[in-house]
Amino acid sequence: MLSGIVVLCSVAAMSAQTSRQAAEDAVRSDVHGSSGITCADCHAGQRTETAPPRTDVARLCARCHSDPAYMRRFDPQVRVDQFAQYLTSVHGEQMRKGETRVATCSDCHGAHGITRVRDSRSPVAPANVAQTCARCHGDAKRMGAFGRNETPVADWSASVHATALLKRGDASAPTCSTCHGSHGARPPGVTEIANVCSQCHVREADLFRASPKKSIFESIGQAECLVCHGNHKIERPSDAWISIKGDAVCAVCHDEQVKGASTIIAVHQGLEGLSNAVASADRTLTRAERAGMLVEDGRFSLREARDHLIDARVTVHAFAEAPFTAVVSEGVAAAKRAEQTGDQALRELQYRRRGLTIALVVIVGFLAALWLKIRSLPTPD
Amino acid sequence: MSARLRAWVEARVPMQALIDAMRHKTVPLHRYSLWYYFGGMTLFLFGIQVGTGALLLLYYRPSASEAYESVQFIMARVPFGWLVRSIHAWAANLMVGCALLHLVSVVFLQAYRPPREITWVSGVLLLTLTLAFGFSGYLLPWNELAFFATRVGTDLAEAVPAAGDFIVRFMRGGDDVTGATLTRMFGVHVAILPAITTVLVALHLLLVQAHGMSLPPSIERMAREQGRRVRSIPFLPHFVLRDLFAWTIVLALLAALSAFYPWQLGTKADPFAPAPAGIRPEWYFLWMFESLKYMPATIAGISGELVALIGFVLCGILVLLLPFLVGHREHARRRVRWVAMFVIAFVAVMTMIALRIPGEGQP
Repeated sequence: MLSGIVVLCSVAAMSAQTSRQAAEDAVRSDVHGSSGITCADCHAGQRTETAPPRTDVARLCARCHSDPAYMRRFDPQVRVDQFAQYLTSVHGEQMRKGETRVATCSDCHGAHGITRVRDSRSPVAPANVAQTCARCHGDAKRMGAFGRNETPVADWSASVHATALLKRGDASAPTCSTCHGSHGARPPGVTEIANVCSQCHVREADLFRASPKKSIFESIGQAECLVCHGNHKIERPSDAWISIKGDAVCAVCHDEQVKGASTIIAVHQGLEGLSNAVASADRTLTRAERAGMLVEDGRFSLREARDHLIDARVTVHAFAEAPFTAVVSEGVAAAKRAEQTGDQALRELQYRRRGLTIALVVIVGFLAALWLKIRSLPTPD
Repeated sequence: MSARLRAWVEARVPMQALIDAMRHKTVPLHRYSLWYYFGGMTLFLFGIQVGTGALLLLYYRPSASEAYESVQFIMARVPFGWLVRSIHAWAANLMVGCALLHLVSVVFLQAYRPPREITWVSGVLLLTLTLAFGFSGYLLPWNELAFFATRVGTDLAEAVPAAGDFIVRFMRGGDDVTGATLTRMFGVHVAILPAITTVLVALHLLLVQAHGMSLPPSIERMAREQGRRVRSIPFLPHFVLRDLFAWTIVLALLAALSAFYPWQLGTKADPFAPAPAGIRPEWYFLWMFESLKYMPATIAGISGELVALIGFVLCGILVLLLPFLVGHREHARRRVRWVAMFVIAFVAVMTMIALRIPGEGQP
């Protein structure tokens, strides 16, 4: 019995020794260790094998990270408001109430071996944020306890934002913290949605704010952008969304009888017309290029038409016919110019071929005459 | 009036003696006479290259920032610019083809026999210059395919021991293919090569005129056995008209190729972009390019690339000195024909293998 206790104590001591060694190794090369911060700076007055209570972690970190004079020594432009923000977050509020299952600093940043956010190995580097949040927010059991579902991160992973960030490597594409905040994380309210989206989608937001839809949405308590685009699983918008028929997004609220139907039909037809004009011009230019013709001017006009098509899709957010029609008209005109350049190149190609065929006939005629002349010369002996 | 004008011109530019000499000069007529026309066709194509090249020079700008755009301008804006550029590009390829056929015909008809050694040497040098025209002109449109092919082509020289780095830097005007390489290639293409070629063409033609057309030994033997003279035709007008006939066929071919297969420009070279798939040189360098792929990394401790390079250079020297190595020995000339057949088969097979791998086609 006694020997069993001795063995257990020895194993526990060895295990503590090993984890302390691992922590020391991790700290030595992390952002703290390389700045001269030692174990005692965080664990002072404690056994270093013992982690500080979860409710104290944020305050412990804030001792340094909320002290501008101290932090300036390491980085003159470093932020020192993380703790203040944390206190306003859902995480911070819950933690203050003694709910220790919510996130604190070390859950996202790690305790030992912390790297800077700009380091791609950091769990809070842009490409890793969603994975870090998913550790809790993707756990159905954990989130169920708070009356929340576990789908946001999976939904975001299927969005255009995730594709941009993770597949195309576009570090400016939004991840969880871009919309919810990082230290002050909480879901945006109904009236704040447009402010969140407008951080990147500036023009769409401006057009929406100036549109008649804004006051309508406000009056019925609809969450602006979310109504049509959703929140986490934001898909690539399609021109087919704008219609009063079938599964179209507009058709959810509008039909022929509801005000605005004529605008929806006009926008739908405008987008369809411009898309078809762009596709047709592209086909003509490609045919000309494959035949060896240079149609750079046409390609330039086509790029212009495509820009107008993008602009027209943005102008949809004005929810009005006049500004949209103006953009579409310019786009169609540019697409026509591209088409004309392609047609002209194809006509030029035919002209060249006809000209060269005539030249070939003349050359062959000359060859025949030459042959007759050679045959008419006196034969050698 | 006409007689008086002719007399006036003759008094100042005496040509009658030359015309009379051309009427009296004869060219042999036999079953291999067709091969006599490839030299003339090559010369005709060289003339076309000089003419179209001069027209292109009016608009072409030899800098990395403007070369591609200037060729684009020539093809899209300059009246008949597309035709001039297309003819220049197609004629370059036909010229290499005609020059190669001319060389092969000279080997098989044994026209390099004494006293035509210098004619042969000048001809081989002209073929080398034609290939150099092709290599230096390839980069000038500054398109993607040409850029990377030039990089690969110039990289080859790096295998030369001791002087490799210097040769590469000399060809590129720096460490990599840049605007400096383009300017260098342009200078070589429009000034240095034409100057040397003109002198060599003059020498080659002078020697051809001085020695006359060579008679294949089999024709000579047959005529001797049958106790008759080999048939011949006057140089003027018989041979000249036949030559004109061949040139007109070339012209018709060029017109057809330019109309139905206009030479494309491709995309502008981006030195910072990765090399696209299917990079390969012009068709006449393909056999070398393909042969290099089959070389092991090292042969007896020497780099495989260097061994191949030494092999190519040695082959070139052997071809250049062929008449001196063979001399009057008939059995040696027969062996040369067998070796030539093997070389042609090797080059054809290697070229076909290289062509089977999908590339980007014409630049």
